[in-house]
Amino acid sequence: MAKILIPTPLRQFAGGNDAVEVSGATVGEILDQLTTTHPDLRKNLFNDEGKLRSFVNVYLNDEDIRYLSKTATAAKDSDTISIVPSIAGGR
Amino acid sequence: MIRIDKAAWDVMVAHARAAYPRECCGAMLGVEADGGRHVMEARPMRNAFEGAQEDTYQLDPAEQLQVEKEARAKGMSVMGIFHSHPDCDAYFSKRDLENSCPWYSFVVLSVKNGEFDHANSFLPNFDQTEAPKETLEYQQ
Ligand SMILES: [Zn+2]
Repeated sequence: MAKILIPTPLRQFAGGNDAVEVSGATVGEILDQLTTTHPDLRKNLFNDEGKLRSFVNVYLNDEDIRYLSKTATAAKDSDTISIVPSIAGGR
Repeated sequence: MIRIDKAAWDVMVAHARAAYPRECCGAMLGVEADGGRHVMEARPMRNAFEGAQEDTYQLDPAEQLQVEKEARAKGMSVMGIFHSHPDCDAYFSKRDLENSCPWYSFVVLSVKNGEFDHANSFLPNFDQTEAPKETLEYQQ
């Protein structure tokens, strides 16, 4: 099972866990499984159309899945998935 | 409520002054405590915006990933993000709000003529349509 690291502000929606192990062949399947087990996480990660929210970046190990095969990126048991919000600003 | 230890605050102010007249950015590391956030360490980060940095900042996601790992290794987490407003008040602008995320505290430091002036902390709501101020405590 791949390991998903849960950012602190989202742990309250993931049973208080800082990491969750989930099975799935792709990053998309894993995120689906994660948010089925922890439904309160879903609206934090996905919009109403079921797409990742605009500020949510997902990393497979050290790679942004946007530059791999997005949610179709294959994941192995030894992989770690991280959720990193994109943040910027300006006047 | 967000409380920032002196050591962390000093790092944030130094980073904001060093970046002047450009915007700086960084992460605040700490723990959740008493329904609020307690920041023990600040981590300067690079402004990854490729363009005029006098009025824009952007975090580098690869560096965020690294900072997140460092925080975990220390038993802490990223509690918030800070950035500076050179020669401008510490308000949360429309672009700050639209490019924020509802998971963190956002501290803005006003730097005027190269010196720290004042600061505020904001909590973007779930849909990033508004960001009310939160109580900010720091020791100068
Ligand atoms: Zn700003």
